[in-house]
Amino acid sequence: MAKEVSGIIKLQIRGGAANPSPPVGPALGAKGVNIMDFCKQFNGRTQEKAGKVLPVVITVYSDKSFDFVIKTPPAAVQLLEKAKIKSGSPEPNRKKVASVTWDQVKEIAEDKMEDLNAFKVESAMNMVAGTARSMGINVKGTRPF
Amino acid sequence: MNHLEFKISLAPFYPASEILVAKLGEIGFESFVEDEPYILAYILKSDFNDFNLTQVLNEMESFSKIKIEKKEIPKENWNKRWENSFEPITLGDFCIIRAPFHSSNPNIKHEIIIEPKMSFGTGHHETTQLMIELMKGIDFADKKVLDMGSGTGILAILAEQLGAKSILAIDIEEWAFENMNENLERNNCSRIKTKLGGEEQLPEDENYDIILANINKNILKSQFETYAKLQLANQRMLISGFFQTDLKELSNRLQDYNYALEISIVENLWTSALFVKG
Repeated sequence: MAKEVSGIIKLQIRGGAANPSPPVGPALGAKGVNIMDFCKQFNGRTQEKAGKVLPVVITVYSDKSFDFVIKTPPAAVQLLEKAKIKSGSPEPNRKKVASVTWDQVKEIAEDKMEDLNAFKVESAMNMVAGTARSMGINVKGTRPF
Repeated sequence: MNHLEFKISLAPFYPASEILVAKLGEIGFESFVEDEPYILAYILKSDFNDFNLTQVLNEMESFSKIKIEKKEIPKENWNKRWENSFEPITLGDFCIIRAPFHSSNPNIKHEIIIEPKMSFGTGHHETTQLMIELMKGIDFADKKVLDMGSGTGILAILAEQLGAKSILAIDIEEWAFENMNENLERNNCSRIKTKLGGEEQLPEDENYDIILANINKNILKSQFETYAKLQLANQRMLISGFFQTDLKELSNRLQDYNYALEISIVENLWTSALFVKG
């Protein structure tokens, strides 16, 4: 029989950095969950993504057990990361502007399709590119569609 | 160490919220709650840098109106509800881990009394149970033991009960350190020394017959070199806090320091392993 859900908690936590202080502590503690178990599980499962902000959706059941789903990082987080990789600018004399390629935008868009409520990868790409621009990150090259 | 909470309201909220979270993540903020029209952002007080935050907020001002409130979060045991009513853990007739409010069971060899106060190590987690299972098969009599990331002190207490001569238990979290000291008293321990901190707290000219480390993959990997300097041939290292899929990587790393895998045990993918130095 399916267990009764007593609450759903949405947080964003840096990979490997869950600890029992707020917001994790009060959110889970109020539901009677063993916070330390959650932290150990979350940190264990995010060792490969240590340092990246990861959205997590935690389902708490009426018997105080829990499970959780870790989502891929928000588009903005991924953009920062991708822009950073290429920070060794080939044109050192010009003002350094962070940039990403359309291929990278596509990668993020495909990754975030579900969360962006987009039906077509092109519209997801437009949203990601829009986020990039508002962050001051250039999208290099010609739009591929 | 306390945390700071920043309540930052953004108008308009999207996409500024997402960008703000990404940028704050880069300057040491650990966790976030999005609750339109504001986000709550949390950072360890010692990691906070006013200049960095001002810079991020300046960058954000071009697309949202920002209001910010700062608050220091007082220390509190958020885990109290669970801790007030948890069930004791019994591992066969070898060991029972219970709270002061549970009754004693005379048929079990080792009894550990823990009041965790938000520290890790109540025996409920697989990683602790696996460590105890491995410890069961090892002779601790007159041994010198190091417990890294000791949490509540549960493994150090068991090591003393198993006859260890002296134990050094170290944890990096203040609340765990305080809590461990309380638990040592509760269990009438007399051969455990405790320290607050990380690997920098380790002595340089000691060696330990047995090292216990239930932490996580990344920290274990980065600290093996230090541990290895504290052991001689035939001394043992017990590690936990990682998944079955990570065992190979950790084993390979330990091989570099001349350790060989002796046993590994698994529960729900969590893995503990015993290594012996060559």
